[in-house]
Amino acid sequence: MEPRTDEVARKSKILQALEDQNTSVTLDDPLENDMILNMGPQHPATHGVLRLLIRLDGETVIGCVPEVGYLHRGYEKLAESCTYHEFIPHTDRLDYLSPMNNNTAYAMAVEKLLGIEAPPRAQHIRVIISELARISSHLMFLGSLAMDVGALTVWMWAFREREKEYDIFENIAGARFTTSYTRIGGLAQDVTPETLAMVKKFAGELPGYLEECERLLNKNRIFLGRTDGVGVISPEKALDLGLTGPGLRACGIEHDLRRASPYLVYKDLDFNIPVYEGGDSLARYYVRMDEMRESVKILQQVLEKMPAGEVHAFKPKKVLPKKDRVYTKMEELIHDFMIVNFGVEPPVGEIYSAVEAPKGELGFYIYSHGEGYPWRLKIRSPSFVNLQSLPTMMMGGLISDVVAIIGSLDPVMGEADK
Amino acid sequence: MGSNGKIIRKKDLNIWQKAYLTEIFKGLRLTISQIFKPKFTYLYPEVRFKPQPSFRGRPVLVHENGTERCVACGLCSRVCPALAIEVQASETELEKERYPIKFEINMVRCIFCGFCEEVCPEEAIIMSNEYELVFTSQEEAIFGKERLLKSTEEMKDRLEFLRAHR
Ligand code: SF4
Ligand code: SF4
Repeated sequence: MEPRTDEVARKSKILQALEDQNTSVTLDDPLENDMILNMGPQHPATHGVLRLLIRLDGETVIGCVPEVGYLHRGYEKLAESCTYHEFIPHTDRLDYLSPMNNNTAYAMAVEKLLGIEAPPRAQHIRVIISELARISSHLMFLGSLAMDVGALTVWMWAFREREKEYDIFENIAGARFTTSYTRIGGLAQDVTPETLAMVKKFAGELPGYLEECERLLNKNRIFLGRTDGVGVISPEKALDLGLTGPGLRACGIEHDLRRASPYLVYKDLDFNIPVYEGGDSLARYYVRMDEMRESVKILQQVLEKMPAGEVHAFKPKKVLPKKDRVYTKMEELIHDFMIVNFGVEPPVGEIYSAVEAPKGELGFYIYSHGEGYPWRLKIRSPSFVNLQSLPTMMMGGLISDVVAIIGSLDPVMGEADK
Repeated sequence: MGSNGKIIRKKDLNIWQKAYLTEIFKGLRLTISQIFKPKFTYLYPEVRFKPQPSFRGRPVLVHENGTERCVACGLCSRVCPALAIEVQASETELEKERYPIKFEINMVRCIFCGFCEEVCPEEAIIMSNEYELVFTSQEEAIFGKERLLKSTEEMKDRLEFLRAHR
């Protein structure tokens, strides 16, 4: 469209007036020399849909605001209209890199509310799946951190190992990714001896492969240059910001829920909590590498100890009955119908139960009014809380390190946005 | 107590590692040695992935000599977290008295969680090992009885697995 002639005339008049009087115009820039950079939410290196608003002075980051919520699916609200059983598949989709851990955490929270416990075999299997999920999550971390700083080979190798783990998950739960494996009071199904043999083989071989990856990274000048002293957070600040998981342990603070408040059978197991000093990306990498080795140690011990027996607690009215009973007995059939239709009805009250997920403390807070549905279900997801410390880690760093710092913090947006 | 290995930091590198060239060759040797290892991936459309009996593929209905086991109790449609199942009951002369006159699963909604299989009191709906589901329209993805029904012989592996491990 042609601009209106009178407007053109008016503008040229103003310009003419300015030129005639030899005036100069200065504009106040509120940012002065700074630049605002908008990173994400579709940036391939932000590990999902994380958006960062970064304030730059030259190449130095002088401010950073993480913005979350692009993957918000309202799980906490959704839970209020799901029976406790129905919510299990939703927990897979929180931290989708370690669904088994979420399944376990949720089932344990509901069990605590109901005042029941899973049988010993189920508890041992839960430890196995939690540790496998921890390894798979840390392998993902290893691959993506290496890729973020430019080493693609390690990414491929880490994914190969993860693939083997997914084969195991497929044998255990029937699905590779969205496992939905634990049930309130037990597990969906028992594991076969062949699967346990697969776990054993995997646990035996993993340290060798990890060493291969380390040989590419640990003495690599570029890798060290990109991570050493980058993204530092002090122990005090980390505690203030509620950082948990490997990020906290890389600051020299030994805090691991498996040790601090043992759940399942962790108190009978012999393992170390890797702790490193420094609080930088490199320390976080070291913590996770060591944690994988500790997980292998745990796996081997649990495989040794694996007791026989049921994987489902026998608690009529609270736990879904075993299938063969449903087919043959009237009473169990009725329980099956009641539990599915109305949900298990826990006593009135509230509980908080947390586990050490690969990313930190994963907690479920449930408030029950004694109905089949939770009145309120709050998820304390580690990634969401850990993202708080991102601005501190980035402050004063270079723009090129932003990606590496996000990689070393290892957030998963499915969990952060819930 | 925590295990405290030492972190190799930049300042700990020796002169050769700092020079980097030797490290490049060491790294290349490691990566090149991978070429001679057996292939880990497979070429998908030619080589197909064979799921174990524990695999949760798309749900199917089981029939015995042409009569479906389902008694249209509606439990599966109640438990389904994705609201993918629609059952309409009707009466029959057979011993089970009820049967589903209409049974539909929307395969686009289904999340393959296996809950329907878990709660069914008749072992009538179970998870198959089919994982290749491609549709060109929404309507095509709604499976009616004719596409859902499978005989007990076809589903033998899964049924045996369920009896042994559930
Ligand atoms: S498939 Fe099973 S649960 Fe579903 S309606 Fe039929 S009998 Fe009931
Ligand atoms: S597998 Fe799950 S989502 Fe699919 S039909 Fe069964 S209950 Fe519904």
